Amino acid sequence: MTSDAGHLTGRTADTSPGPQPDSSSDLRPDAPPGSRSDAPPGPKPEPTPGPAPEPAPEPPSGTGSRTTKATRKRHRPTRHWYAYLFIAPSLFGVFAFLLLPLLIVFVLSLFHWELLSTPTFAGLANYRRLAGDGGTWHSVWVTVLFVLLSVPLQTVLGLLLALLLNQRVKGVAFYRALFVVPWMATPIVMGVVWTWIFDPRDGALNRVLDVVGVAGPNWLTDPAWALPSVALVNVWQFSGYTMLFFLAGLQGVPQELYDAAATDGASPVQRFFQITLPLLNPTTFFVTVTNLVGAFQIFDTVYAMTDGGPGNGTEVLNFRIYETAFRQFDFGYAATLAALLFLLILAVTLAQVRFFSKRTTYDLS
Amino acid sequence: MAKRTALYLTLIIGAFVSVFPYLLVALTALKTPRQLNSTQPWEPGLPPTLGNLGKVLDSGFTGYLGNSLLMTAALTAGQLVFTTFAAYAFARLRFRGRDVLFWLYVATMMVPSAVTMIPLFLIMRELHLVNTWWGLLAPYLLGTPYGIFLMRQFFRALPAGLEDAARIDGAGPLTILLRIVLPLSRPALGTLAIITVIASWNNFMWPLIITSGDDTKVVTVGIAGLKGAIGVDPNQMTAAALIALVPMVAVFVAFQRYIVRSVVLTGLK
Repeated sequence: MTSDAGHLTGRTADTSPGPQPDSSSDLRPDAPPGSRSDAPPGPKPEPTPGPAPEPAPEPPSGTGSRTTKATRKRHRPTRHWYAYLFIAPSLFGVFAFLLLPLLIVFVLSLFHWELLSTPTFAGLANYRRLAGDGGTWHSVWVTVLFVLLSVPLQTVLGLLLALLLNQRVKGVAFYRALFVVPWMATPIVMGVVWTWIFDPRDGALNRVLDVVGVAGPNWLTDPAWALPSVALVNVWQFSGYTMLFFLAGLQGVPQELYDAAATDGASPVQRFFQITLPLLNPTTFFVTVTNLVGAFQIFDTVYAMTDGGPGNGTEVLNFRIYETAFRQFDFGYAATLAALLFLLILAVTLAQVRFFSKRTTYDLS
Repeated sequence: MAKRTALYLTLIIGAFVSVFPYLLVALTALKTPRQLNSTQPWEPGLPPTLGNLGKVLDSGFTGYLGNSLLMTAALTAGQLVFTTFAAYAFARLRFRGRDVLFWLYVATMMVPSAVTMIPLFLIMRELHLVNTWWGLLAPYLLGTPYGIFLMRQFFRALPAGLEDAARIDGAGPLTILLRIVLPLSRPALGTLAIITVIASWNNFMWPLIITSGDDTKVVTVGIAGLKGAIGVDPNQMTAAALIALVPMVAVFVAFQRYIVRSVVLTGLK
């Protein structure tokens, strides 16, 4: 594997001829607009990590400069050979534990393999099986439903909480901290705790409903309620963390814009939709992409709360992959399902990139 | 005025919803089974008992707790060391293929961990590392692309003048990194450490897949097993949950400003 990584490093190196102006900053569709210009209006107190000034270790070689260092650098930019030593362990990790597995998933999806047997090449048989596998398409549907039940809600809630906290509120830090507490909760543990909260007889939720005279449903065993209940736990866990990003985004919106809009007679609602929301686009993009990617992979909560049930009512795709591989030991087909999940997430992410790149084309300067 | 009241009321309700599962865990874990039956879930059981905690700890959780601590410490140390070196190289050094490789890193941030679980298991099986510490740690020990992305953002924002001055004075790359850059990077390193601690402690799927014996079993897997073994026993389940949650709550209380900073570090502000 080491030689493999080294080989690829050498290859990629050839495709990059000479020092380029740092193009990597172009990779981030979330870069704040206008931040690449060197002279932002007004003082910038803190070196916030945005696209920073060119990271080149050598000073820009001014034409008049005649120091030995500058002349030497101008002719042949220094290459830091030891950089390869610096990145070697991490590069090995990326190749061995991320890229190689990704490759294996697609190769394995072309094989029949039940772990104890020897793998046999199967061509596209697994994919043909997938096409007619109603159970898996049901899982895809359940996953999409779960995403739709959780991500929009936690995004909107996160934005609302951020808007509330972005006013002059006493104890901002206190509320902010409490809202983020669910994010660091161990999902499998909180799944167990919520299972108990949702318990139809002794659970806190139905006890509270009892007090106000409502008979609560069997949350986790009723097919109509099981998936929304699991989704609700996800909303509980990630709304506060989403809020954190929106809050940071809101603090980057210049107050003058609001003042100007207010002078022009714009209502608060207009100000929100014409100023706040468009300027938050990079944040919204980042937040929805990460929330979606996370929600598509939901596993722990389902494992703890419903084990895919009732029936297969909450059998999300990632859970089905796990079952296929580690309960039925059908590794070839499980790899096919993993490939499907990968392509699903990739498609949704690319759709997001397209959607947001069209809408983030303003310039403030 | 009414508007202010509504604002604070909403905030208080939000804060309560955020923490009430934790409160419920603490309340229930300290009740005897009899108190559990005679009180509402939101009422405390008096006098509180430590019996559930003792029972859970004796049933193997002391060992799981130790394993979780060890795993978290090892992964955090690995992340800090390897990520720092790689991120510094990407931020400040010039080498062939830098931009392409960094692009590759950013792309791998998008590879869902769910997709790589099966091949990772098979790789570990091929290397005879299933149910071993190395198998448990290997995939995350060398740092994560996300961590590198975060640290690179931070390093790039540091003024380069100090490093240039040190270089002119003849300092080598290691000296510059360890003596000049790292002391300036404490906030970012703190953030990276906290994020890694939480992610490692909470990790469930990989330990579930790769470990089976008690020697390598971590708290998350232990709790999932407990549920299968004793069914719904709220006293013991919440006691186990309390044991698993308390360390992260402590970390959070001590270092929450670093978590807030992680958001700023991504460059979204």
